[in-house]
Amino acid sequence: MLGTLILKEVRDIFGSTKFVISFSVCAVLILLAFFTGAQNYQAARRQYEAAKAENLRQCDGLTDWLMLRQNRIFLPPEPVAAIVTGVSNDIGRTVEVTGRGELSAEDSRFEGEPLFAVFRFLDLEFVFGVVLSLLAILLGYDAICGEKERGTLRLVFSHAVPRATYICGKLIGSLAALVPALIVPILIGCLVLVLMGIPVDVNGWFRLALAIGTGLLYFMVMLVLSIMVSAMTHRSSSAFLAMLVVWVMSVFVVPRAAVLLAGRAVVVPSVDELSSKKAALNSQLWTQGRQAISRWTPEKTGGDMEGMMKQFQDMMEKQADERDRKMQELAGQLNEDRANRQRVQQRWAFAAARLSPLASFSLAVTSLAGTDLNMNDRFAAEAAQYQGDYAKFMKAKTGMVPGRGMIIMKGDAGGGAKPKPVDPKELPEFQHRPIALAGAVETAIPSIGLLIVWGLGAFITAFWSFLRYDLR
Amino acid sequence: MTDSPYLEAVALSKRYEDGVLALDRVSFGVRPGQIYAMLGANGAGKTTTINIFLNLIDPSEGEARIGGIVTHREPLEAKAHVAYVSENVMLYGNFTAMQNLEFFARLSGKHHYSRDDYHDILRRVGLSDDVHYKKVRGFSKGMRQKCGIAIAILKDAPAILLDEPTSGLDPKAGWEFCRLLESLRQEGKAILMSTHDIFRAKEIADTIAIMKEGRLVMEQPAGELAHLDLEKLYMEYMAGHNGPMPAEA
Amino acid sequence: MFRVLVTKELKAILLSPRFVGTFMVGAVLILLSVYVGIQEYRAAVDHAQTSQLLSDQGLQEATSWMSASTRAYRAPDPMTIFVSGLAFDIGRWTPISTRTGVRLRHSLYSDEPMYAVFRFVDFSLIVVVVMSLFALLFTYDAVSGEREDGTLKLVFSHPVSRAHYLLAKASGAWLGLAAALAVPTALAVLMVVVYGIPLGWQDWLRLTLLLGLAALFCGSFVMIGLLLSACTRHSSVSFLTGLMVWVALTLIVPRIGVLTAGQLTNVPTVAEIQGQREAFARDQWDKFMRDGIGRWQGNTDSLGEEALLARIQTEDSLRRQVETNISDYETRQYADLRRKSERRERLALSLARLSPVSAFQIGAMTLAGTDLDMKPRFESAMDAYRAQFTDYVGQRQSESPGAGGMRIEFNSETGMKISNPRDAGALDISGLPKYVSPRFDLAPAVGSLALDFGVLALGLLGCLFGAVMLFSRYDVR
Repeated sequence: MLGTLILKEVRDIFGSTKFVISFSVCAVLILLAFFTGAQNYQAARRQYEAAKAENLRQCDGLTDWLMLRQNRIFLPPEPVAAIVTGVSNDIGRTVEVTGRGELSAEDSRFEGEPLFAVFRFLDLEFVFGVVLSLLAILLGYDAICGEKERGTLRLVFSHAVPRATYICGKLIGSLAALVPALIVPILIGCLVLVLMGIPVDVNGWFRLALAIGTGLLYFMVMLVLSIMVSAMTHRSSSAFLAMLVVWVMSVFVVPRAAVLLAGRAVVVPSVDELSSKKAALNSQLWTQGRQAISRWTPEKTGGDMEGMMKQFQDMMEKQADERDRKMQELAGQLNEDRANRQRVQQRWAFAAARLSPLASFSLAVTSLAGTDLNMNDRFAAEAAQYQGDYAKFMKAKTGMVPGRGMIIMKGDAGGGAKPKPVDPKELPEFQHRPIALAGAVETAIPSIGLLIVWGLGAFITAFWSFLRYDLR
Repeated sequence: MTDSPYLEAVALSKRYEDGVLALDRVSFGVRPGQIYAMLGANGAGKTTTINIFLNLIDPSEGEARIGGIVTHREPLEAKAHVAYVSENVMLYGNFTAMQNLEFFARLSGKHHYSRDDYHDILRRVGLSDDVHYKKVRGFSKGMRQKCGIAIAILKDAPAILLDEPTSGLDPKAGWEFCRLLESLRQEGKAILMSTHDIFRAKEIADTIAIMKEGRLVMEQPAGELAHLDLEKLYMEYMAGHNGPMPAEA
Repeated sequence: MFRVLVTKELKAILLSPRFVGTFMVGAVLILLSVYVGIQEYRAAVDHAQTSQLLSDQGLQEATSWMSASTRAYRAPDPMTIFVSGLAFDIGRWTPISTRTGVRLRHSLYSDEPMYAVFRFVDFSLIVVVVMSLFALLFTYDAVSGEREDGTLKLVFSHPVSRAHYLLAKASGAWLGLAAALAVPTALAVLMVVVYGIPLGWQDWLRLTLLLGLAALFCGSFVMIGLLLSACTRHSSVSFLTGLMVWVALTLIVPRIGVLTAGQLTNVPTVAEIQGQREAFARDQWDKFMRDGIGRWQGNTDSLGEEALLARIQTEDSLRRQVETNISDYETRQYADLRRKSERRERLALSLARLSPVSAFQIGAMTLAGTDLDMKPRFESAMDAYRAQFTDYVGQRQSESPGAGGMRIEFNSETGMKISNPRDAGALDISGLPKYVSPRFDLAPAVGSLALDFGVLALGLLGCLFGAVMLFSRYDVR
């Protein structure tokens, strides 16, 4: 009996024009999302390589590492991030590393190319979150009330069909028809990635697969939700209207309003406030430092240039370390305070936003793609680590870490051997690791769990409503 | 013709949530091999009666029985023994006639039918072979009614409920429909039919009942009524004349 | 006759659940979006003011005019309450100093990525997503639905002209939609006034134009629905096509337009440009240093006080020359970049305007001053300010010369020499020109606006004409 009902549901869906048209639109969009993602990745990769090469080129002709003035590191593009963009286009991707002090990432993609910010990109998150959820509604809104309007429900229930079996058949049949259907264009999309030579590693494939799985889960939630509404209404037009309101709220309103209201409710000191506090301390420390330098005299000046330089550098180094320590103390304190408040803010914002299934889906899928809010922190941590490596490198090469605000120029006062140019290859390279699978899954689990709860809740409500549905 | 009634209404009453009394202690019985026609205006309670037999709604009082099974107690068991053809048979438009038949046959628990059986039944109800594989969406009302009766035949239930099955059919289709009903009667089915159509009721029914405002106001064997008498009686009841009120059966 | 028809349409719409739904959803969303917009605007104004103040304080603590630098903050525009556009994507400030060029950096989204996760909700989004959808819902079954109900046949058994009938449908739906939105919109505007958001006469004009544009936009979707309805026989089909058209016009065409333009044209990225600038600057400074070593070689002790001063001055002017060269180079580069990206933007937006949604969005952003011109507009104002700043600083510096920083020389002949730093404490910045954010001027935007209004009006009329043509041959059975 259940098998018959499921089979009928599957056949009915595949035979309908509604399915054919809307599914083709979605299939095209899914493919387009993969294609544009791949293209964007390639373009970003080219830009990244160019920027990196440019950074290395400044080492050309340098004879002393101290003269290296602006060492920049860049956040490399990632294939999965190009397909689920998250905040990756909004956060700064370039960090200037000086060896000391705080780092700040600049030049987000959208800042550089605001044209793309006008309508945003067409990524998988968008296709699933906005378009496919609409498809789910379109295919589910008249599942029950439409059959009632068309009169088939009466005929079916003139047979010995238990209601529970019928609604289960309906739900399972719809899912069984649509979910595999969606997998086909997705697989073709993955093939496009392979054919275009996008280097996705095993970790990337796993995360992509999980992200797609989450997308399908979200699609199922929306489908069951609309069947639920369909089982609570008697006219398909009101079911559609109701679902449309739910869709608009869940996709466009609740997540945004939640974040904005939480953002206003919890006050977080702005970056600018912090940086001006830091700048004030910095300038105070420099003033003190300059006074100390003026008072300084080398211990014995026996005309030994090298020795004198060494002494001076040691003194400068000690002073800079001291300055660094004080700055870090203040910065640590300020940043921690800000981070704590931000955490509270985000907790509230996302807790409220998760009222919408879309928000749960978005948060889960961006976590899996590594393009959630943590992307910023991860990059900052990696940059800080690089700065440590860079400082060590500079110390080893030159005996000091110059830091910001110091311009060192060496002139060859005449004669002597021509100094050898530095080898740019020695410069430590910035290592960016994509997010580990386990970490990504761990962050995504609560959102996925919530989606499952949504789905089950809708399933049970649909079931329960249909048991009391007026079949006439 | 002498067995006990297969379809049975016992003091059936239905009051809707809005307070309307749709059925008021209606009792009747339909024996196997008998066609029982309910006549009445819109809102007289004919469809409500059928809805109760199909357990699409529960009765407020009394009970409907199919083969002795009370419909609102064991709806599934009861529905296994009854087939239903509605006023306007609606089928799955995306399916062909054959697919519809197959689906509903399976719902009736009849898995043994072969493709040929479906063709045979469709031919028997008067659908020619060229439409068997056409989508039902394009079918006319008469064709859909034929599919409906084919589904009812497939179910092979001892009782059949028909809700104004001939309304909107052209005379030829109506005539064919009546022949089908007669053949089903031959097979010993108990047939309950609601209708507006006095002429057809007179032609094929064994017993004719008239319903008005939820009550059964007249019930007589068709053989005892001349055609003209029936029409006169019907008009009298409908007009609300205090005509002869036979005791309720 | 026409009046009878319109009245009937209006009645039918006002009594339908669609209208109630539209009204409720529209009211909640419009009020919510404007409320949120007001909060954001006030926060942004506060933020910009405090930050500017802090930055000025920071300037006072600079040790010399040479190292003086400040920041110019982009002042928020009250129209961002209604159309946030790119306001949160574009950097909020630029450093102003004699050394580096103007470049807006640190957008709200990059500083507070939490807001970037779901982005913003504002009036224009509500219009684009919700109103267009409801406009379609109002008319998708205008013809096909009535045919199915059989009322179409009945209506045309009376002496009614088909064009009149369709026009009545269009005006009825439009008026109904307008009625649903007028009240919440008026309340929202009232809210803006009550919250004391400063609106000048030009802002009121812009707001009026925005509402007009929104009305035109809703109108064009009403007509699209009508056109689809007149193309199809069944309301279920027109519903499905309507929804697909909506998805295409709202969500897809604009993005595809931009992506296509992105593919077709090539624009260097900021990173590339900066790299080139760096390379150029390095060459320039290297040359300066090489020459400098030549200039300073030999014994400086033998020089007299005055000669030394003259030499320092020459040095300073040479240094300034290098700075000017670099900044000229940068300006040229950015001008080139701007030209290229403008070309790309024009192409992208023309492609996107195939959809009325983009036309509305672009028009709304233009009106709010949060369009693509926003960045160059602010940057050029900031550039102008930087020129003033540089002039002033140069003037002050010539009054009290010196690099400000320390100068430590190691020389194998003379040993170490620490030049006495000038640590004069706070700078007197009272005479420094203040940065004033440019007021939005409607005049230069008129051309682009006329285009958007034109596209919408043309689309509207085209759809109406098409609908009338199709309906004149419509089989009403």
